[in-house]
Parts: sequence; structure tokens; C-alpha cells
Amino acid sequence: MLTITELSVNYGAVQALSNVSIEVPKGEVTAVIGANGAGKSTLMRALSGLVKPGSGTATVGGVTITGRKPEDIVRLGVALVPEGRSTIPELTVEENLRLGGLWRDKAARNATQVQVFDLFPVLAERRSMRADTLSGGERQQLAIGRALMSEPRVLLLDEPSLGLAPLIVTQILELVSRLATESNLAVLLVEQNAVTALRVATTGVVLNLGKVVMVGSGSEIASDEQLRNAYLGY
Amino acid sequence: MTTFLDYLLGGLGSGAIIALMALSLVLIWRSTRVVNFAQVGQAMFTTFIALSIQTWTGSWFIALVGALAAGALLGVIIQYLVLRPVKRNDTSGAIIATFGVLIALQAAAGMIWPGGSQAFPQPFNNAGIEFAGRVWPISVYDFVVIGITALLVLGLTLLFTKTSLGLSMRAAAFNPEVAKLSGVRVSRVLTFGWALAGSVGAVAGVLVAPVSTISPNSFDILLVYAFTVAVIGGLDSLIGAISIGVFTGLVISLVSGYSDSGNAPIVALLLLALNLILKPEGVFSHHKARSV
Repeated sequence: MLTITELSVNYGAVQALSNVSIEVPKGEVTAVIGANGAGKSTLMRALSGLVKPGSGTATVGGVTITGRKPEDIVRLGVALVPEGRSTIPELTVEENLRLGGLWRDKAARNATQVQVFDLFPVLAERRSMRADTLSGGERQQLAIGRALMSEPRVLLLDEPSLGLAPLIVTQILELVSRLATESNLAVLLVEQNAVTALRVATTGVVLNLGKVVMVGSGSEIASDEQLRNAYLGY
Repeated sequence: MTTFLDYLLGGLGSGAIIALMALSLVLIWRSTRVVNFAQVGQAMFTTFIALSIQTWTGSWFIALVGALAAGALLGVIIQYLVLRPVKRNDTSGAIIATFGVLIALQAAAGMIWPGGSQAFPQPFNNAGIEFAGRVWPISVYDFVVIGITALLVLGLTLLFTKTSLGLSMRAAAFNPEVAKLSGVRVSRVLTFGWALAGSVGAVAGVLVAPVSTISPNSFDILLVYAFTVAVIGGLDSLIGAISIGVFTGLVISLVSGYSDSGNAPIVALLLLALNLILKPEGVFSHHKARSV
């Protein structure tokens, strides 16, 4: 679904990402893991249009998304849940959700909202409350819900486990993997928390200093002790 | 006591106008974090346009609608030509640029409409209303001013709370990155904000002109009041701009009534200083603190 071909990103003289190629098939979770500074967030920002890649391309169902603006990329079916529970605290839960698909026609938007409320019942309960009254886990659900409101074909998740209790992380990631299978969604998950990420991922990609150092099945990477020691540090 | 109440009533109309002007400052601050000092210049310019339309058509209503449209257009032009080229995150650069626009507008107005202060025809009766055996310090025109202000505030509230465009505007103001990722065309939304603020300021100009006069500098004092009000209200609060605006109108009326109208600006600045000492983030602000 999402094909990343030799993508490079430079911040001035620093090359944050060099010639990264990843294939993200639909119906599966693909996890990109790596230490802090490996280029994981840069990859997400480049795919969603927040930074311009220096070279390389990314296509979704054959359509090139690189070089476009974030507001156009989301319309092409690629939704990012940025790092750090990116909800807007001053808006209510329902306003945060509505925001995710404002350009769509009302009927379609409302239908998706019903699905999101089914998926995250707690959001339905709190729909008229301000987002800053939610707990961390609830806000992460809201952030994912907002991304789903655009009815994406590709969902990009940047460090969803950050600052959350392990139990909640497991719940959220299991829900994401179920979502991938049931809605035939291509999910690209970026995580520092490799153990949890690899548990739900079909494919794992190890990123180090901006380069892909290994691609393999989730269990393959999780059991490779040398790799763990060298790049993941556990 | 009667005098006190009379002074209060007499301040309502001007309070509403100050509130509108402050509102136009708040609209731009909310979305761009820039205090638009050119706002009174824009209002002055569009009021001159309104005066030309009024002279030409003889209709105050057409003049008001013309000012609304001209205000929106001028706002968009200024945003495109002056504010967009200023580097993003360079807030002080942007603020200084708005001062430049103010001076340019005043100079241009002086050339286009020479001859100093001009009277703006009075569209409604501005004499105190006679009721229950006495003359009250409030006129039909004051009611028109208060009514138009109330309508505008109602319209803006509905826009922000009930429409998709309003939600986009709020999202773009609070977190432009998340707004973009959600598909909001942020730069278009910002341009619309400048148009909206331009229109609100233009209405304030047309409403104040009949009770003062119109010259390139005649609204300068309005800038002092509107800025004071916007800051005290918290700069990002519509409610703050309106309530503090009306409050300031009342204070000005009381000060002018009991002492001298020349003291009013000093009292307004004292209020501003007091606010910055006691509650620097503003009375109605969403934010916890603001450094001064």
C-alpha cells in the first residue's frame, strides 16, 4: 500500500534519513524500531509532509505523496498520529474528532464518527468534555480517533507508547493491530519500545542513524540477540 | 446618583465601538500571535471609503456594507503583501511591519482625501431620547451601535462554535501543525481571519465616525483604548474584548463626566498598568501566565 523508495532527509548538513526503503502492506502492522535519534520521527514527518525529503519517493496505491503539503497528503489517505498525544486540549473531544475529517461530506464524516465511538467507547462518554480533562491513555485514543476520522488507507503512528502505562500500551497496540486486519489498513508504527511493537507487528524494520539495518518478521527480530544488543539496547 | 447612571448610559455606545475595535485585534492575535497596530489605520481608510460611498449614493446602509467589504479586502491585501513575506516566528518583525502599514495608510489617506477633518453625516438621530418626562443620555444612534455590535458578536460566536470554518480557525490558532495534519488549509484560514478582522474593524470605524470626525489620525485614540482593552481581556478572548470594551467605555464616560474628557486616556493607561501588575495574563485569557 505504502511504498517508500530511497527516501533521504537532511537537516542542514545533518543527514537524518538516508536511502530508506520500506514496503508497508495493507492489513498489517509494520514496525520501525530503533534508538533515540535513529530517524524514526523524521521518517514520519517526511511521510506526512511536515518536512520535505531531500530525495526519494513515497507512494500510496501508486500515487506519489512526497513533495505534497500535509493537508493534501491526509486527503490522499495517509493520516499521522504525531508523537506526544497530539490532541488540541482547548477543544472538546467531539471537536477534536470532527477536525480529523472536516473536508469530507457530513454524512460520511458522521458515519466514521459512529465507528470511532464504537472502537473507543470512552470517547463517546466524554464527547462534550475538553480534551485536557482526559487521561493520557484516553488522549492517545482520541489522537488515533482523530486520524481515523479521515478514513485513511495508511495510518502512521509515532511513538504511541510514550508516557503511557504498559497495560494501556498493550491495549492500544492490540487495538491497532485488530484495526489493521479488520479495516484492511496499512499501519506504520514507529516505536522505541521494541518489545511491545514487535509483538503486534508482522514485519519489523530496524533503523539506526538514519539507515535501515535490518528487515525481518517481528518474531525474527525480537529473537535476534546480537541485533538487540547492537541497536536496541536491551 | 442620577448623574452617575446618566454617565454610565452615555458610555454604552462608545464602549460598544471600543469593544468592536478590540475584537478585531483579538481576532488576529488569536490566529497569528501578532498585534495588528494597522487595524485603526485600516478602519480609518475604509471609513473614508464609506464616506465616499455615502456621498455618492446617499445611503448609510450601502456605505456600511461597502466598508465591510473594503475592510475584508484590505485585510487580505495587507496579509498577502506585508505579513506573509515576514519570516515565520518573527513576531516582533511582524508587529513592526503593522506599524509601517499604519503609517503608510495614514499617509495615503491624507493624499487621497485631503482637507483635514471631515464630518461624517449622522445616519440616525443622535440626540438624547425623551422618555418618561426627561431626556436620557442615550440616543437612537446609540441603540443602532449597540444592536450592530450585538449582532456581530452573535454572528462571530456562531461562526466559531457551530461551523466547520470556525472549528478550522480555532484549531489553526491553537495548534497549526495538528490542524494541517487534519487537513485544514491553515494559510487560507489565516487569510480569512485577516478578512474577518478587517471587516469588524471597518464596522467600528463607520460607527464611530458620525460621533467624532474623520481624518487620517482621528482613530489613533481608538487604538490606545482598543489595545488596552484587548490586553486586559487577555488578547485571545472574544468575551474579554467585549466585556472589557464595554467596561472601558463606561469608565471613560464616568471620568469625562466627573472630571475632564482629556483625563480619559490617562485613566485607560492606568487600568492597563494595573492589569499588567496584578494579572499580566489578562482577565479572560486561556493561558496561565504571560511575561511582560
